[in-house]
Amino acid sequence: MIAGAFEVALASARTGDEAAFASIFRDVQPALLRYLRVITADPEDVAGETWVHVVTGLRRFRGGEQDFRAWLFTIARHRAADAGRWRARRPAAPFDMTEPAQHLTSPDAADEALEAVSTQAAMTLIKSLPPEQAEIIMLRVVAGLDTGDVARIVGKTPGAVRVAAHRGLRRLAGHVAQAGVTL
Amino acid sequence: MILERRPIPPGAPPEIYGLARMLAAVAGPAEAGDLAGQAAAQAAFARLASPPGASPVARRSARHSRSQRPARGRLTLAAALATVAAGLGSTAAAYAGVLPSPIQHFAHVAIRAPEPLPDIVPPTRMVTSSPTPSHPDHAASGSAGEHSGTSSDPVVSGQANPGQSWNHGRKVGSVPPGLASCPPGQGQDQGHGQDQGQDPAVGRSQNPARPSPAPNPVKSESAQESDGSGQARKTACSESTIPAKAAHAGGQ
Repeated sequence: MIAGAFEVALASARTGDEAAFASIFRDVQPALLRYLRVITADPEDVAGETWVHVVTGLRRFRGGEQDFRAWLFTIARHRAADAGRWRARRPAAPFDMTEPAQHLTSPDAADEALEAVSTQAAMTLIKSLPPEQAEIIMLRVVAGLDTGDVARIVGKTPGAVRVAAHRGLRRLAGHVAQAGVTL
Repeated sequence: MILERRPIPPGAPPEIYGLARMLAAVAGPAEAGDLAGQAAAQAAFARLASPPGASPVARRSARHSRSQRPARGRLTLAAALATVAAGLGSTAAAYAGVLPSPIQHFAHVAIRAPEPLPDIVPPTRMVTSSPTPSHPDHAASGSAGEHSGTSSDPVVSGQANPGQSWNHGRKVGSVPPGLASCPPGQGQDQGHGQDQGQDPAVGRSQNPARPSPAPNPVKSESAQESDGSGQARKTACSESTIPAKAAHAGGQ
């Protein structure tokens, strides 16, 4: 987070300031990549397409930091959906090892995640959740969006988002308790 | 509580602490590889997000994306619409049978449009200088008055001046002489009298510029009513019959 400097950087980036854009990129790109690693198999490619769209529409963007984050993750979600459709039309690979469902059904996902206290381990644990819960938790925790923004992004009501987040957290807590390891 | 990153109250289950740490790790600082796409993103930013007019390349690119692409699309759309409109119009014209004969014939063969109609020869205007009409119907058609100025008929040519009404220009000579004088018989066909004109004396008396040298009271009366229109001429012919009877009766 750039904290209070984010909106200044955003205003400068809209006028073409590359340094301001770089600071914004460094601030939000890690969260974007982690979110995309949960919902898509091609996080780097989708992140690149997302930034192209952000750059194209940055001049027309109006709003503060929260609005920018909501806008960024909305674009990322749409691009991830496009990539998923593209992959579905061209099934070049027989299977994808990074499919969330495979992690979900893997019996050792929690154990693997708890082997080390690291971001990757926590990511793997979150991926073991049902996709909807995992996405909502990532948007709430990693992207830092509130319930209303998340509800708009995923196309659900705020109540449904709260319920899904609660169930996901309970399931994650169960994994932690089951493993008996404190992260 | 955990999602809002509030502090966990004391006495919470240990898995909650573990969950909070796990979520903090997910939202932690960037690791190696998280910023791998920065160079590409900055290049895209430099290419696409520079303000208009900042660089000629960007200006050309913006102009290209803004004007040429939509123009190309509009051109294609306009061409498609024009083609469709022309096809529909041609088809409709073919089925209406208004195309030229060769094209209509082709349409008849191609899309079973109606066959081309045979050419209709328009009626030719015949101007006869002969006092005997070759086609009495032409005299009744009323088209000969246009050519009366060139007629060699002495009656017609003698009355042909620009101020004359159309009845003076009629082909008087084309009318059978027996019908031209509107005889006062009971069985007289008024239509003949209307169309065939008058005898030379009557014709001259209808021209106010040329009064009849031998004024006939009956005919001069009819001449007074003649204003040069066809209706007046009808009146003159039809009424010339009645006063003639009266004069004849008066004479008796």
